[in-house]
Amino acid sequence: MPGVLSVLLLLALWTALAALAGDPRTMPSPLAVAGRVATLAASGELWLHAGATLGRVLASFAIAMAVGTALGLWMGRSRAADHWLNPSLVIALNVPVLVVIVLAYIWIGLNEVAAVAAVALNKIPVTTVMLREGARALRPDLDDMAAAFRMGWRARLRHVVLPQLAPHIAAAARAGLSLIWKIVLVVEFLGRSNGVGFKIHLLFSSFDVAGVLAWALAFVAVMLLIDLALLRPAEARANRWRRDEA
Amino acid sequence: MRLDLAGKSFAGRPVLGPLRLAVERGQRVAVLGPSGIGKSTLLRILAGLDRDFDGRLEGRDRLAVVFQEPTLLPWRRAVANVTLPTGCPEAEARALLAQVGLSGHEDKFPRQLSLGQQRRLALARAFAARPDILLMDEPFASLDPGTAGRMMDLTAGLLDRSGAGLVLVTHDAAEAARLRAVPIRLAGSPAVPVP
Repeated sequence: MPGVLSVLLLLALWTALAALAGDPRTMPSPLAVAGRVATLAASGELWLHAGATLGRVLASFAIAMAVGTALGLWMGRSRAADHWLNPSLVIALNVPVLVVIVLAYIWIGLNEVAAVAAVALNKIPVTTVMLREGARALRPDLDDMAAAFRMGWRARLRHVVLPQLAPHIAAAARAGLSLIWKIVLVVEFLGRSNGVGFKIHLLFSSFDVAGVLAWALAFVAVMLLIDLALLRPAEARANRWRRDEA
Repeated sequence: MRLDLAGKSFAGRPVLGPLRLAVERGQRVAVLGPSGIGKSTLLRILAGLDRDFDGRLEGRDRLAVVFQEPTLLPWRRAVANVTLPTGCPEAEARALLAQVGLSGHEDKFPRQLSLGQQRRLALARAFAARPDILLMDEPFASLDPGTAGRMMDLTAGLLDRSGAGLVLVTHDAAEAARLRAVPIRLAGSPAVPVP
């Protein structure tokens, strides 16, 4: 309930500011923006471009999580790997997002592969760092147990290691999804001919603030839905064993 | 299983001295000594968890370990804690759980069980691996006397039925006697067997 109330308060504040500014071109009211969202949805344009953006978000998210988890696990478990890879990791963490995107477009070409790769490359180091901390904290007694019973590596990964990493994976996924969709918009802004970022590029050149806000809010809603419908239930399922009741 | 140990040290400090130990199916041995003497270290060497020692470990026996702590997978239910590490079929796991008095608890998570129940679950898991030799590290510590006694009887019964050998590490000679295990006393620094 406080969540709904705070959203309503924000909307009231926005309405008041729009009325105060008195210029619907630079500060449109929430109602005007909602009207734009409705028009976009009715024309089908919303689904086309939001779908393109969502596809890029999911592809780069999947790649970044898989590669980042594998690298983090490796670096957390092996001192040698950590020593050899850490300098590259620090460099990768500090290369500006924009540099990676521009270089990917120049070296790979103005195509989908470059777009997805640029976003994934921006997110992989962050996931790696988070999962490395998790891998360092793996319980040695369970390692001994798995070794003593000669569990195979697949069973170990699935039943011993990944459940211990679950909170770190969930945190990385949460933080990753919101970071990734912002980077995807920049990638689309700079070099794609569809997607929310591309539309915002067009609207920016005509200073259409209501349009920019309409696209941004529509996509925020999509990401919120993913969080509520997919991430939260998955987390609840992974945490069942922490409860006291049977 | 045969261990011919010349010595074991941690960071240059000798912990265990020369020691020979041979155990077969059906034989029961108890390693006795005060805490901190290196009994658990010896058990880790026998279990193949510590390979950094001077000497030789021979034998192709199937081993199972009951650790000092239950060492269960908290995110897997009781029956999965038996089947996953050992590969034993679920029906067999349920039968074993019944034998250690955990019927009705098969689908609980470890933290929903008491310490005594968790220990019995660890015992069921060890026997599910169908060991030739069972290695136990202070498995009855921090249980109240009644619970510890029942678990010792349970262990003895399972050993009789399966014919498995036993290496029991404990500080309590009465536990060794109750399980009819031949005592080996460790003393000194580095620790060596004393008569």
